[in-house]
Amino acid sequence: MQPTEQVPVTVLTGFLGAGKTTLLNRILTEQHGRRYAVIVNEFGEEGIDNDLVVDADEEVFEMNNGCICCTVRGDLIRILGGLMKRADQLDAIIVETTGLADPAPVAQTFFMDQDVADRTKLDAIVTVADAVHLSSQLGEHHEAEEQIAFADVVLLNKTDLVDVNSLEGVETRIRKINPYTKIIRTAHCEAPLENILGLDAFSLDRVLEVEPDFLDSDHDHEHDDDVTSVSFVSDTPLDLDKFETWFGNLLRTKGQDILRSKGIIEFLGVDERYVFQGVHMLMDASPMGAWPEGKPRTSRMVFIGRNLEDMNLMEGFEGCKAT
Amino acid sequence: MQSNLTPNLLGDLQKQFDLNIAMTEIRGKKFELRAPVTCSTSIKNSVAVGCGDGTIRFLSSKSDPIVSKTHDGVVLCMTKADDAVLTGGDDGRLKRTSINGEVEEIASFGTKWVDSVAESNGTFACSSERNVYLWSGNREAPIKLEHQSSVGGLAFDASGRRLAVSHYGGVTIWERPKRRWKSSVLAWKGFHGAVSFSPDGKYVVTAMQENALHGWRLRDKGHLAMSGYPAKVKSFAWVGETPFLTTSGADSAVCWPFDGKFGPMERSPVCVAQKNAQISTYVQGVPGQNAVFAGYKDGSVLLASINEHSEPLTIRNATGVEVTTISTTQSASHILIGDAQGKILWAPLSQEIRHARYV
Repeated sequence: MQPTEQVPVTVLTGFLGAGKTTLLNRILTEQHGRRYAVIVNEFGEEGIDNDLVVDADEEVFEMNNGCICCTVRGDLIRILGGLMKRADQLDAIIVETTGLADPAPVAQTFFMDQDVADRTKLDAIVTVADAVHLSSQLGEHHEAEEQIAFADVVLLNKTDLVDVNSLEGVETRIRKINPYTKIIRTAHCEAPLENILGLDAFSLDRVLEVEPDFLDSDHDHEHDDDVTSVSFVSDTPLDLDKFETWFGNLLRTKGQDILRSKGIIEFLGVDERYVFQGVHMLMDASPMGAWPEGKPRTSRMVFIGRNLEDMNLMEGFEGCKAT
Repeated sequence: MQSNLTPNLLGDLQKQFDLNIAMTEIRGKKFELRAPVTCSTSIKNSVAVGCGDGTIRFLSSKSDPIVSKTHDGVVLCMTKADDAVLTGGDDGRLKRTSINGEVEEIASFGTKWVDSVAESNGTFACSSERNVYLWSGNREAPIKLEHQSSVGGLAFDASGRRLAVSHYGGVTIWERPKRRWKSSVLAWKGFHGAVSFSPDGKYVVTAMQENALHGWRLRDKGHLAMSGYPAKVKSFAWVGETPFLTTSGADSAVCWPFDGKFGPMERSPVCVAQKNAQISTYVQGVPGQNAVFAGYKDGSVLLASINEHSEPLTIRNATGVEVTTISTTQSASHILIGDAQGKILWAPLSQEIRHARYV
């Protein structure tokens, strides 16, 4: 046996009927020469036929560490551990969640369990959304908002069933919740698989490429979605101590409402760029090499979450500037 | 030449000159399998070992390995049952494989994995997701015991009359005072994996999802929190007369004393077989001795007696691949070490080790 690399894990979310099963069947049947294992939930739609399909029973466990939002998927820890003992090497693993699942515990599992983190890595969260029904789902179920908020890719499906105006309206709502997600329009989940798998969206390297997809036009605010995003930039370096105090306290007290955060920061007196990305209170952070020559050293920070307006984020961020 | 060197001196030499000597390795046989080694158990003068490709091997000093393809997938769990092993696999099967390689299917759970198995005095049980299936009293069909979450581990006490089932939120103890099995719950927040009764049946301990063990004194359900580990406790074993609960998950084998009225309460563990900047991943006692083998994430295996001043002896050098299982034969004549990439070392243990002259 050869030493193993971390196997990428793609999380597939989306409401029942959005097209997750269609996408899964495509991934499993297309001639790509790769070996994928699929972890499906027991309430899923019928019709996935493959020898590498594992049934899961979404079990969300709280950790006994005093952190109220540290929840993990217990069944995933067990199943990923078992899959890593197989004789054949997997190219990737796909985890399908139930329609009403919050993606956070799945993502947090990769932060909280060392064995999972050693052997596998979170590749991306892909949300399949139904272009016809997403708007009403967003109003009725907070899970729908969370699935959009966490998504690295939104596969906006069934676009053949809506007119151009409604389609643009749906995209506007997606962007308002999550301006950083990549939206792919499809009619029958027929997007190229390389736009869905192998994205490495959770690596700190990719945080460096984060550029929000802001809309040119002023969109209307008839829907007041509960999940929003904010971003900050600064050309003045930040003070490391001030930042640690503010950000640490913010995550500790408001982490439950902060769904995802990412940032690239210049600290005064530190040569390397400091890059982080997190889910709720859990954070992956590291120095990521020098700033590019001849380009401005702009610190950037983005948050996606609920009640962001109550967190004095702008004030906090400004307060970290080195004087 | 080795007979002139006491292993203690060997330990000193290794330390002083950084000599790369592990005599066990030189004397032993090496096997390379196609998949990770997942589990092993001592069975008379053999050791049974399970693997990710579904095979089970019986190794003994007397004959060539006996290999049987028991599962169509990963062997997830194994326990000794008389002169056979019971194993569960990701093929959803519970099977019995005898020491001469005969395989018998006991139950099938379809696509549901069989995650843990336990046996005592002819009574045996396996778990699949939330359910435990229990075979007792020569009955063909098992009794199904349901739990609130997936089962993390199973263990009988020495008598076979009590079964501990760990899960999210604690442990359920099933007892059969008369004809029916009755349950009581030991609660503690968090997910509990591998579970075990102390040899005297007075305590139950679990390895948790957090870097800690939890224990209960059954008399009064008093709690024992054994924490402070830098990594998850993947393995533990009861060792010696005291006995000590030896555990992995630190840069040593952490050994908690369970003697006296209060066990490890308010006491510090004894840490032996220390290896700097490495995490132990598997521990196993030496039969009949107060000594423990500690396997590490870097593949090395050390042997030490359980006292603060013991000098560890290197049984196997670092290979770079995590040790996933260690077993010895019941007489401690041979040791088996398996790792996460399918490498097995099967080696005779020297007279010195068997007679505890390394202390």
